[in-house]
Amino acid sequence: MPFASVLFAFVVGAIVVTVTGGNPIDAYQGLLCGGLGIACTQGENPALQIANTIVYTIPLITTGVAVALPFRAGLFNIGAEGQLLAGAMACTALGIKLHDWPAVILLPTVLVGGMLAGAVWAGIAGVLKATVGAHEVVTTIMLNYVAQWLLRFLIIGGPLELAEGTSKSLPIGDGAHLATFLPNSDTLQIFGLPASVYRVHVGLVIALVAVAVFAVLLWRTSLGYEIRAAGQSQKAARYAGVSVRRTIIVTMLIAGAFSGLAGAIQIAGVDHNLTDKYFSDTTGFDAIAVALLGLGSAVGIVLAAILFGALHAGGAVMQADAGISSSLVLVLQALILFSIAANFLNAIRLRIPGLGQAPSAPAPAAVGAALMTEAAVAPPQEGTTTT
Amino acid sequence: MSTTTATDLAVQMRGITKAFPGVVANDHVDLEVRAGEIHALVGENGAGKSTLMNILYGLIHPDSGEIHINGKPVHMAGPRDAISLGIGMVHQHFMLIPVFSVGENIMLGREPVTGTDFYDHSRARKAINDLTKRYGLALDPDARMGDLPVGLQQRAEIVKVLYRGARILILDEPTGVLTPQQTNELFVVLRDLVKAGKTIIFISHKLREVLEISDRITVMRRGKVVGHLTTRDTSEEEIATLMVGRAVLLRVDKKPAKPGAVVLKVEDVSANSDRGVPALKGVTFELRQGEILGIAGVEGNGQSELMEVIAGTRRSTGGHILLGDRDITTYDARTERDAGVAFIPEDRRGTGLVLSFSIAENSILGRERSLTFSWHELVLKLVAIRDWARKLVKEFDIRTPSIDVAARNLSGGNQQKVIVAREMGSKPKVLLAAQPTRGVDIGAIEFIHRRIVQERDGGTAVLLVSAELDEVRSLSDRIAVMYEGKIVSIESPDTPEERLGLLMTGGGKAREGAA
Repeated sequence: MPFASVLFAFVVGAIVVTVTGGNPIDAYQGLLCGGLGIACTQGENPALQIANTIVYTIPLITTGVAVALPFRAGLFNIGAEGQLLAGAMACTALGIKLHDWPAVILLPTVLVGGMLAGAVWAGIAGVLKATVGAHEVVTTIMLNYVAQWLLRFLIIGGPLELAEGTSKSLPIGDGAHLATFLPNSDTLQIFGLPASVYRVHVGLVIALVAVAVFAVLLWRTSLGYEIRAAGQSQKAARYAGVSVRRTIIVTMLIAGAFSGLAGAIQIAGVDHNLTDKYFSDTTGFDAIAVALLGLGSAVGIVLAAILFGALHAGGAVMQADAGISSSLVLVLQALILFSIAANFLNAIRLRIPGLGQAPSAPAPAAVGAALMTEAAVAPPQEGTTTT
Repeated sequence: MSTTTATDLAVQMRGITKAFPGVVANDHVDLEVRAGEIHALVGENGAGKSTLMNILYGLIHPDSGEIHINGKPVHMAGPRDAISLGIGMVHQHFMLIPVFSVGENIMLGREPVTGTDFYDHSRARKAINDLTKRYGLALDPDARMGDLPVGLQQRAEIVKVLYRGARILILDEPTGVLTPQQTNELFVVLRDLVKAGKTIIFISHKLREVLEISDRITVMRRGKVVGHLTTRDTSEEEIATLMVGRAVLLRVDKKPAKPGAVVLKVEDVSANSDRGVPALKGVTFELRQGEILGIAGVEGNGQSELMEVIAGTRRSTGGHILLGDRDITTYDARTERDAGVAFIPEDRRGTGLVLSFSIAENSILGRERSLTFSWHELVLKLVAIRDWARKLVKEFDIRTPSIDVAARNLSGGNQQKVIVAREMGSKPKVLLAAQPTRGVDIGAIEFIHRRIVQERDGGTAVLLVSAELDEVRSLSDRIAVMYEGKIVSIESPDTPEERLGLLMTGGGKAREGAA
C-alpha cells in the first residue's frame, strides 16, 4: 500500500511533467542523482548528494515519530512544526546565553532544553484536549502560528537578533555544536571534495536512537500499551482502568519532546543559529506524510523519511540538470499524501470485480483509519442506539 | 406437502454457491419458501445465512445457482431489481436517519412531491396512515425517529419496506435488539402481515422464537443447508443439534449452591446514566460467596449502570459499596480489579476487548501494570504475558491458530471467551458478568455457562445481568428484578416467567424482605 502510493505519485508526476512540456525521464534521473547519488550525468558528486539526503532525513525521522506516536493514541499532531520551532528557539536561546559553558554540559543542556520546549508546546494542546476537549488538530495548528510569529519576533528586532536588519540570531556557543562525522577541514579530501562540505552530523545517531525509543516505548512498555489501547478504544481503556486524559497529556508531551529535539538538532548540528529560512520550514508538515507513509512503524518512518529527504535533496539537482522546477518535488509529496489520505488505490481495487473482499473479513481500512480507528472522531449516534 | 408446485413457492433458490477468499460462504444451498408462510433461516454466526439473504436481495452475486421468484427465474443486478420483484429487507442494524421524522424516513428516496418539487407532507402522511392502518402497525409519522424506542424504529423499517411494495420480507435477526415484550409485539405484526398475504423470511439463532413464529425452518451450518424442518414436528434440541453438528446441552447442569459469607454489600447506591439522568435510585443487595445472583429486567432499567458502578467505571452519586469490609465505593476500575472484582462487560467489541490487539495483549487488559506482567509498572514482561495467554487459550478452549491473532479476527464466541478467560483467570472474589453470552454461538454459550457455574462452585460471588430471561433463570440461585433503577423484588429461580415479566414491567407485588 505505501509502495503503491509512491508509485502512483511518480506516475502522475510523470504525466504532470510531460503535460507541462518536460521530459519525465530527465526529471526522475535528476531526482535520483540528487537524492541517492546514482545516475548522475552532470558530474555531481554522489557522496555529497547522499550526505545531503541524510542531513534532510534526520529531522524528518524525529518529527515523524512525533506525529506517529500521537496517531497511536488517536491524536492528530499537526503541530510538529511549531514544536520543532519551539525546540529550535529554546536551543538557540540557551546556546547563546550559556555560550561559554563547556561542551559536555552545554550540548546536553541545549538538546534537553529543546526537548522541554517542544514538550511544553505540544503539552498545551494535550492539556486543552484532556481538560476542555479542545480538538488537538485546531490547537496544534494554532500553536504552529504562535511559534512562527514568536520566531519572527525573536530574530527581527527581538532579543536574539544578531544585528538590526539581519533577520538572523546570534550564533550559539561552540560548545553547543553537534559534531559532524567528518572533520570540519577544507584541506582533507574525501571523495574528491573537502571534508567540510559533508555535513552529516551526530544528530543521525540521535534520530535513530529516538526512533528506537519510540518503538520500544510503544511495544514493550506498559505506557505504550495504554497509549495504543486508548487510541483504539477509549471505552476499553477506561474499562482497563487507564486514565485517558492522563494518557493524552503524556503522549503529547513525549511527542513534543521528539519534535523539539528535531529543532534543537537542526540548530546544534546544521545551522548554529536561527535564520529566516525557518519562517518557511516545512519539516513538521512533511512529518505527517512520513508518519502516514511509514504506517506509524519505526522502520516505516525511517524509510519514508529517507524518501522525503531524498526528494528534498534531489529537487535542486533536478532543477539544475533537467530544468524542471524543484516544485515538482512538492507535487510528488502532495500526490503521495493524497493517495494515502484518499485511500485512492484501495478504492480502485475494490471496483475491480473479483478483488472484493468477503463481507465478513475486516474491511480494508485507510492507513489513517488503521492508526486512528474510532478514537479520532466519535462515531455518530445511530438510530439503533436510542432506546 | 408432497405436491408443492413451483408456483406455490414465493422464493426458490437452487444450488447457490458463493465463495469468498478463504471461505465458501454458501455451498450449493437450496432454499424454498412458500408463499404466505413464515420461514425461519437458522444457523450460528458465520453459517452463511446473511450471505444467502444478501444474494436474494441482490447485494451479492452468487458464483453459481439460480433464483426463482414466484416461479419465474430471475437475475438480480442489485437491490433495485430485488425491490421491483417485491423483495424487501429489514436489516439487523437499522438504516434510519435519527433526525428525520418517521414519515420522512419511510418516504426517503420515494418522496411524494407537489407540483413544484416540494415534499408533500399531507400525501406522505396519508400514504403512511393507509399502510399502518391496513397492517395494524400503529406509528406516528411526525415523530422524530431518534426519539422512538427500538421496537418502533424497527416497525418503521418494516413500514418502509412495505411502502416500497414488498411482498416478500426478509428480517435479519429482528429480535436481537428487542425486549421480550417488544418481541411479542413484533410477532403479532408478523402474523398480521402473513394474514395480509405477505411472505416472511425470518433469520434468527434464537430457537424458542423460531419455534414460536415460524411455519418451516431451514438450518444452515458452515455454508451448507443441513436440514429442512417443519416447525410443528421438531424441537429445540433437534434444531440445536443440526446447527452445531453435535448434541448440545441447552439446560444448565448445576448442583444447589452453597452460599458462604457475604462478600459484596451494595447499600442504597445511586448513579446517573450517560445522559446525566438518574439511572440507579437506591439499590441495595448482598452477594454471598458461592452464589449466582441474577438480575432480571428490561434493558435500560439501570442494570448496565449498576455493573459499571460496582466495577468502578462509573461514578456513583450516593450510597456505599463494600467488598468484605473495605469500602470500595470510590475505587477506580484498576483498584477494583486489584481488589478482586472482575468484570465481563456487556459491550464485548468496544469495551471488553481492544479489537486490533492480539489475544496475548488482550489477555492483560487492565493488568498491564501489574507486577506479574510488568517490571516496575514500566516494561512489559513479554514472556510472562505470552505464557499466560497460552494458558488461557488452552484452559478456555479459545479456538485460534495462535495467541498473536488480533481479537478482531476471532468469532464472537471466541472473543467472548478471551474476556471470560481473562476475568476468571485472575481468581476474583466477585465476578460481574453482564450479558456474558450475548450474540455468541450455542457451543460457546454452553461453555461459558459451565464456567460461570464452576466459578460459583469455586467460591466466587457472581453477579449476572442478562437480557435473556431464560439465562437468568437457568443460571441464578437468586433473582433480583430491576425496574426503573430499583430492585423491586428478589425471587427464587423457579419463579414463573409470567411473574418475573410482570415485575420487570413495574407490575406485581414484591415478596417480603425485598427492597
